[in-house]
Amino acid sequence: MPEKLTNGIKAPKTLPFEFVPQEAETAVLNNPHAKATTLVDDVLDAMEASFGTAVLERVVYAGERTVRISTDSLLEICTWLKETQGFTYLADLAGIDRFTEEDRYEVFYNLVNMTKGKRLRVVIRIDEESMTAPTLCDIFPAANWNEREAWDMFGLRFEGHPDLRRMFMPEDFEYHPLRKEFPLLGVPGSMALPPQVPTGELTQDPFPAAHGSKTPWSFEEVESEDDV
Amino acid sequence: MGQELPLQEGFLTTRVDAVVNWARSNSLMPMPMGLACCAIEMMAFAAPKYDVARFGSEAMRFSPRQADLMIVAGWVSYKMAHTIRRVWDQMADPKWCISMGACASSGGMHRCYGVVQGCDNFLPVDVYIPGCPPRPEAVIHALMDIQEKIRNQYSIEQDGIYGRDMPVVAANRPTIVTPDGEHAISPAGLYTQR
Repeated sequence: MPEKLTNGIKAPKTLPFEFVPQEAETAVLNNPHAKATTLVDDVLDAMEASFGTAVLERVVYAGERTVRISTDSLLEICTWLKETQGFTYLADLAGIDRFTEEDRYEVFYNLVNMTKGKRLRVVIRIDEESMTAPTLCDIFPAANWNEREAWDMFGLRFEGHPDLRRMFMPEDFEYHPLRKEFPLLGVPGSMALPPQVPTGELTQDPFPAAHGSKTPWSFEEVESEDDV
Repeated sequence: MGQELPLQEGFLTTRVDAVVNWARSNSLMPMPMGLACCAIEMMAFAAPKYDVARFGSEAMRFSPRQADLMIVAGWVSYKMAHTIRRVWDQMADPKWCISMGACASSGGMHRCYGVVQGCDNFLPVDVYIPGCPPRPEAVIHALMDIQEKIRNQYSIEQDGIYGRDMPVVAANRPTIVTPDGEHAISPAGLYTQR
């Protein structure tokens, strides 16, 4: 109940807030702060009605809906989501290395319906043997750089991508660093450090200072033919 | 020393090194190599509250040709390292380098494949600053350390000797004679050349 203060101003009503993952449904419905952005069961029901067996799994975690679909029907379902369900905005896309025997890699797509304010996560799984996924660039141009990142970090090839180059790592880098088997500190010699003197060779050792190769002071640098 | 009262005619004797080093140490122009959040503290260091103009270093120079102090502020990726070394090579001698913060000094929390584990792997660093990020006072302290180093170590003789064996410059510090022998009063020995 709002209290009556002495100066005549009513104190604001305290809104109840409780969130327990197990009670995500009711918590979202009862919580006046929540805008129920992730309540998209009607969309998922319609998806299952339209595509049937292509919808493999529906997961609810912390109130968020994730739907796993078959890789072959990704383009079809995303086109349907964009054109009939209004999910016009691809917020994010990235790879996941599950490090399992089968279906090792996963790609998730976070889709947003801007008019209704709804969010949906679509997931596909990719086996280590195929390592290919269809590109979403034709449907969502925003997928371009994110798919390049997934290629860079996991080595997932997106078929039909207009420009599948590395996003972050150097062009001549040979590995895909976010795979689970990649060592934390990288493969020694895979990326060169700059030379320790202006006219020197690139440093292949990633820890030259720890191995006793201190960079000389600038006044100790040996004169070269370039300096005149 | 002045032979007459102040503001009257007189003369002053000193050494050229002392004058040149005094001028150099009080007009360091930093090249702000801002790479991450440390750069925000570096801006505060140059801004009015901490006011590095008191030390003559308020003129940040984004052109390496005009700068003589590089402040590497933030984590250094392998890709960026080549650019930093190139900028460092473009700076004219004499030049000094501050490695600001845990990331620039050792890789910090970025113990991963993409980040160089300390910028001293490709730069000759004069002063390391701990902290994540360091306070602007710490950057001022590092600047004062560099000034101390310049006053004690550098000489104009050194400027003429390029790429050849350099004479070891004695610390220009007053000494005190004790029963053990002659000692420098200040910890100038910390700044002897490698």
